[in-house]
Amino acid sequence: MGEIVLSQVRKSFGGTSVIQGIDLRIEDGEFVVFVGPSGCGKSTLLRLIAGLEDTTSGTIAIDGHDATSLPPAKRGLAMVFQSYALYPHMSVRKNIAFPLRMAGISAEEQERKVQAAAKVLNLAPYLDRKPSQLSGGQRQRVAIGRAIVREPSAFLFDEPLSNLDAALRVSMRQEISELHQSLKTTMIYVTHDQVEAMTMADKIVVLNAGRIEQVGSPLELYKTPANLFVASFIGSPKMNLVEGPEAAKHGAHTLGVRPEHIDIVAEGPWSGTVGICEHLGSDTFLKVHVEGLGALTVRAGGEVDLVHGAPIRLAPQPDKLHRFDGAGEALAKALA
Amino acid sequence: MATQASRTAGRLMLSPAVILLLLWMIVPLGMTIYFSFLRFNLLMPGTEAFTGFENYSYFFTDPAFWPALVNTLVLVTGVLAITVGGGIALAVLLDQPMWGQGLVRVLVIAPFFVMPSVSALVWKNMLMNPVNGLFAALARGLGLPPIDFFADIPLASIIVIVAWQWLPFATLILFTAMQSLDREQMEAAEMDGAGPLWRFVHLTLPHLTRAMTVVVLIQTIFLLSVFAEILVTTNGGPGTASTTLTFLVYMQSMLQFDVGLGSAGGIVAVLLANIVAIFLMRMIGKNLEA
Repeated sequence: MGEIVLSQVRKSFGGTSVIQGIDLRIEDGEFVVFVGPSGCGKSTLLRLIAGLEDTTSGTIAIDGHDATSLPPAKRGLAMVFQSYALYPHMSVRKNIAFPLRMAGISAEEQERKVQAAAKVLNLAPYLDRKPSQLSGGQRQRVAIGRAIVREPSAFLFDEPLSNLDAALRVSMRQEISELHQSLKTTMIYVTHDQVEAMTMADKIVVLNAGRIEQVGSPLELYKTPANLFVASFIGSPKMNLVEGPEAAKHGAHTLGVRPEHIDIVAEGPWSGTVGICEHLGSDTFLKVHVEGLGALTVRAGGEVDLVHGAPIRLAPQPDKLHRFDGAGEALAKALA
Repeated sequence: MATQASRTAGRLMLSPAVILLLLWMIVPLGMTIYFSFLRFNLLMPGTEAFTGFENYSYFFTDPAFWPALVNTLVLVTGVLAITVGGGIALAVLLDQPMWGQGLVRVLVIAPFFVMPSVSALVWKNMLMNPVNGLFAALARGLGLPPIDFFADIPLASIIVIVAWQWLPFATLILFTAMQSLDREQMEAAEMDGAGPLWRFVHLTLPHLTRAMTVVVLIQTIFLLSVFAEILVTTNGGPGTASTTLTFLVYMQSMLQFDVGLGSAGGIVAVLLANIVAIFLMRMIGKNLEA
């Protein structure tokens, strides 16, 4: 079990309000990602759920019980920290066994659970090493191992991959996803990286300035962003945003079109010149200076052979346009 | 410091300082060793003669030698125990967020700035004096007979005074180490179900071992040569109850004017310091390795 319900949770430090009234329901077994720019309150929200910070007002219920004033250890949650927070003077075995030892579990039982966790995480050869003798990815796995052995009702991850290099980040991302598939335990994952959010989440919670901007599955957020913030935050490269007469033509204050929804067509309505070309092999990202619209990013196939300064004509896919009003809220989908 | 030329230049630049430091150490040591083999009494100038190990045999057979050796070790260990224990306690307290933190920290450090003879006088005359002292007044207020500290428990009294002087040093080093303790580790332990006591035992103490080692090593060097506090308060007495090796050397060379005997004692003190240092490094030196 691991159902977490937040109602009207607020948090302020001194006079600054960091979390401004959050209502959120996290179902049992869900993989929820909190994503947002730095300072949006996503880590604070996670720490409120963990019990490492006190809520200023509002309630947090775990499995139907009010946990707002419970100490962290009593909430049945396990947390993986950004710095891993391994105990440096203890071996890997002792690190993983620490929560069991604190719970007063017998030595044989501890050893059995440590071995089981080590097997799942491929840590068996390293059990007698100290954290300082491990690589970043191994330390990360030890931190996860320490969380697993407690058999918590939910796992909390606080930007766990941000200290790893790019290649390792991708493989750890998949390991965590697989772990979620096999354990079926609720996981709450905080990141500022929208790629991690999109690839791992069942449900993404986009936060900005202490408020929830939108909650939904990765594809929902991609296809129907509720506002400008979500639209420009989700998707890589960012959505192109156009204001002025071109937007007005579609009855919107701001018009959004993703780079992958612009085609290079000989008779396209937008004409411009190619700026920078980024060749990734599979794709090419073009920076195109379009007359009257400014710079647009366009995704083209990997084989596109265009050079700086080449004239080009573009056409947006009409059914993939996003329209926003003056306040940045999404309007109904443009009619083709 | 990559090229041959820059390495040579570096050595040349360093050499004046190194040579000065070497002379600073080697000349007094050499002279002390030389004097320790001479019959050299200031009251009988011109009679200096080589006597071999006679000074050493006099020093070792001096009735005050063994008490002095034991007193020295008791003083050092006693002060270390109080300062390390008290230092950890104070560091934990200072680490708590509180009002007036800055002022409290300055106050805690303050005793370190009082020179030893002055603080010993303050303790002797204002606190531990059996007639006018604060402790005597407190004891009388409770209807107890006042303790004559320097007559009844001289060594313990000196330990208290010296510990009071060195507590700020230990606190400062340990408190600094405490501040570098990773907050996330503490939070992880909190989530793992470790209460405050277990967090202290399993995280804070192991984290502080290196700082404790530094405190023990540095303080030992200075505690072996405690002198002013003894001179000002008990003069090594009653009898030999508060005589340390340092004080014994002083008595022999400056009160009995026997420079040869005092030098021999000085060399013995140097040897003792080295033995203690070797033991300490064997026992706790590994904590200093990263």
